[in-house]
Amino acid sequence: MMLKNTGLYFSFLLLFLAVSLSAQEKMVINGSIRDQQTGESLIRAAIKINEIPGLGVLSNEYGFYALALPSGKYTITVSQIGYEKLQQQVDLKANLSLTLYLIPTTSLKEVVVESSKKNDNLLKPQMGTETLNLNAIRKVPVIFGEKDILKTLQLLPGVKSAGEGNSGFYVRGGGADQNLILLDEAPVYNASHLLGFFSTFNSDAIKDATLIKGNGPAQYGGRLSSVLDVKMKEGNNQDFNVNGGLGLISSRLSVEGPLQKDKSSFIVSGRRTYADIFLRASEEFKDNILYFYDLNMKANYKIDEKNKLFISGYFGKDELGLGDSFGINWGNKTGTIRWNRILSNKLFLNTSFIYSDYNYNVQLKNGATNFNVNSNIKDLNLKQDYSFYVNPKNTLRFGFNSILHTITPSTFSGTVINSNPKAGRNGLENAIYISNYYKPNDDLSVDYGMRLSAYSLMGGDEYVIYENDLIKNKIKLDKNNFGKTYLNPEPRITANYRLAEQVSIKAGYARNVQHLHLLSNSTASSPSDQWIGNSYNIQPEIADQISLGYVQGFQKNNFELSTELYFKNLQNQLDYKDGAEINTLADIESALLYGIGRAYGIELLFKKKEGVLTGWISYTLSKTERKINGINQNNWYNAKQDRTHDLSIVGVYTINSSWSVSSVFVFNTGDAVTFPTGKYLIQGQTLYQYASRNANRMPSNHRMDLSVTYDKKRKKRIQESWNFSLYNVYGRENAYQINFQEDPKDASRTQVIQTSLFRWVPSITYQFKF
Amino acid sequence: MFKKYIYCSLLFFGLSACKKEITLPLDMNQSMLVIDAVITDEMGPYYVKLNRSLAVTDAATFPGVVNAMVVIKDNFGQIDTLNHTKNGLYLTNKIKGVYGRTYFLEVLVDGNKYTAQSTMPQKVVLDSLRINTFNINGTIRYSVIPVYEDPISLGNSYRFIQKINDTLDKTFHVFNDNLNNGKVNQRPLRGGTDSLEVKLNDLVAVEMQCITRETYLYYYTLNQQSGAGPGGGTTPSNPPSNLIGGALGLFSAHTVQKRGINIK
Repeated sequence: MMLKNTGLYFSFLLLFLAVSLSAQEKMVINGSIRDQQTGESLIRAAIKINEIPGLGVLSNEYGFYALALPSGKYTITVSQIGYEKLQQQVDLKANLSLTLYLIPTTSLKEVVVESSKKNDNLLKPQMGTETLNLNAIRKVPVIFGEKDILKTLQLLPGVKSAGEGNSGFYVRGGGADQNLILLDEAPVYNASHLLGFFSTFNSDAIKDATLIKGNGPAQYGGRLSSVLDVKMKEGNNQDFNVNGGLGLISSRLSVEGPLQKDKSSFIVSGRRTYADIFLRASEEFKDNILYFYDLNMKANYKIDEKNKLFISGYFGKDELGLGDSFGINWGNKTGTIRWNRILSNKLFLNTSFIYSDYNYNVQLKNGATNFNVNSNIKDLNLKQDYSFYVNPKNTLRFGFNSILHTITPSTFSGTVINSNPKAGRNGLENAIYISNYYKPNDDLSVDYGMRLSAYSLMGGDEYVIYENDLIKNKIKLDKNNFGKTYLNPEPRITANYRLAEQVSIKAGYARNVQHLHLLSNSTASSPSDQWIGNSYNIQPEIADQISLGYVQGFQKNNFELSTELYFKNLQNQLDYKDGAEINTLADIESALLYGIGRAYGIELLFKKKEGVLTGWISYTLSKTERKINGINQNNWYNAKQDRTHDLSIVGVYTINSSWSVSSVFVFNTGDAVTFPTGKYLIQGQTLYQYASRNANRMPSNHRMDLSVTYDKKRKKRIQESWNFSLYNVYGRENAYQINFQEDPKDASRTQVIQTSLFRWVPSITYQFKF
Repeated sequence: MFKKYIYCSLLFFGLSACKKEITLPLDMNQSMLVIDAVITDEMGPYYVKLNRSLAVTDAATFPGVVNAMVVIKDNFGQIDTLNHTKNGLYLTNKIKGVYGRTYFLEVLVDGNKYTAQSTMPQKVVLDSLRINTFNINGTIRYSVIPVYEDPISLGNSYRFIQKINDTLDKTFHVFNDNLNNGKVNQRPLRGGTDSLEVKLNDLVAVEMQCITRETYLYYYTLNQQSGAGPGGGTTPSNPPSNLIGGALGLFSAHTVQKRGINIK
């Protein structure tokens, strides 16, 4: 199997290389783009040559760029959101290595969301891509005052929140498990803390976050709906900094600084909630345990001009419990070692070795009896990614990725039960990819490529094969033996064509394949949701997405309107039979149902990018449906997250260099839910009768949040800021849950009870840096 | 458990969930026949209750179906045609419930036929009831553990009906032996957030039923659906039933044992 893959990989490579090697020889300028104050590398900075209009490249994920030019004198212009434009003269006589430093702009021009659709970024054909500027999201109000990239992302078109105050999200009709969330390339299996109210991303440690809604380039794969690529800060290599914040819920502290000036640096950033400290003080809740923490660490070391090493790690944990009698904890651990190597002045290589672990435990203890549940998923991941700056018109990207998954579903142990030790199952996920970014002129750019993914079943627990609900066969593989292999080609293409100075159209097609699946039978996300790999019954999930886009800038691109239409077709979607005991069944696969899905919609985004008032209006009109054999009489039904209308308005008003005010307004159609159509009596109890699945709606949600930020004038080294925010300004009671019950005063009457959670949540956050 | 925790967590943040009654535009589908049929190993007569489902907004006075023909047979040749007493309650005359036997139900209403079958499981002896205590934040919480030894063979299912001082606990307590096959039960009858709580000096009566897989699935599904909404619970649907012909409800053949305990 491996051999076959490798063979294919090389034939792919040779094919592309043959094309590229015919390019003529020129001088090459290469190097990296960095922040002048911190030395952080800058991603996606646009590098242009004034003398040759239409020629330009973007720096890659490591801030690396390369440009091939005939010898001569040139002016290089480098621009990046949040930085002053840099102009640099060069006299090119031979190959040149050049690191360029950009100076951060003052806060007046901050833009919360930059997208690929900016004028500078008309270079890029990428569709449905949004990048969050971490420095500016702190001004956007969020619940509990805890700035959070996942919650800010939910204000963008095509991205829906998993529930009020929840950091989970749905992209273009996909499930929450269909988002690939990467933290320094390591997949994060559960990106939420405290049952979803907080994300695992401590924004103090984050440099950049990019969301790609289904049209990811070929180097990304493994999930159907989106890629959220989060990069941690590298740490300041110029100067030591301490950065911290105090909030009502949690506090944060980061330390960063050079290990060797200009050469290497580190950052350590921690966050912990402290609700449990108040709890212990109260008699009523003194035994309650409730907290989470996370710790981000990263260090980099410049070996020489051509080699750089990065090590990063993340540890996060949640603890809930009651004394020593009951406890739930879960947590992610990820670690990444990366080696950036400049192989030649045109070829850049990144090799990563990644470890990722998600663990979930429940303990129940009462006297001598105890009961434990444990579930775990572990990944060992090796990645190589080459960027080959062939010539100014072609940039090749190719590489491979191999992941060994070890997935152990809920395993029980304890005094009261038979322990059922499960070995778990291994799976090997391999992918090779190649893509070319082709830009023949200033108006047209195309990114096309192919990813070939493979998933091989490996030994561990027995595989049972079902046919029409009956056991057909059982297969037991030895620990390191391979079973069936699924092989899926994933073609991708996106193109951008500029019709006029400020108008461009885009089109794209992508196939994404997902080999790991999240089994969840709850309408809310829960840490106990289990991952499962492909098997003999479970086929890889497949999504095909076609999208069309139109972007128009107004008034020197101060305003921008972008529209995207998408249609998505989903295969091999999973759900459960009614009443499936997902945690205790000997083989969960006996309770699974399979089907298809479709999603389509239109997304509008209107942005004001500069001036004292910045912000955006985002609106999505969409439909998301599923058709699963064995559910809803095999008819199409609305997916839970099918919300017809979704509107967000975000505004940031900068009064002066110290004060700014921001506000968010959101409106969305309620979730698709199933309400009873009747009631009846069984065993003396009233039960409810149901008809079609998800044919009803929760009431519409809307609310407005406000926040005021005060940046104190910098005193010597100390920089302080305060943020005051009020969530749900007008106290709207949004429905969190709707229950049907007997009226306690009149048992013959049925009451409909709505539960709402957040009305007027004030918060205050203090932030300092020295 | 989780839901409780969400509320708990929010409480700490100085928030409290706010509940209120609302009116929703609910559509009424066709009223359906409801069959609630039981045969046990106790002395007869056994009953079959027939009524029709109502709109959610109707007052819960369920109209009995009085014009039905109801027959129960078993695989040993017993046939019993049930007599209608009043308001849709039909009673058997002579058939005896014996474990191990399979019972067949036939209901004819307005020219439509509904059938079901159920095999009464072996009786597993309910040895006793014992009290389980749990100390949370200085308060002792009580619950009752039914003590029985699960047989070696896998696939036993149980239902427990708990009455606390003669008030019915509305939680459907159903257990199976997926995890503790062949062991003495140590799991207490603990309900959801809104179930009745057992307190000191209460008199608790427990009825243990050895039920079929189908009956277990029926009640388990109902349990899972409690608290539907984005906050938790599975998407509700009519629970899987052993009735054929398009009626709501269940036909359950089960054994019955009763015991009581005083919480001290």
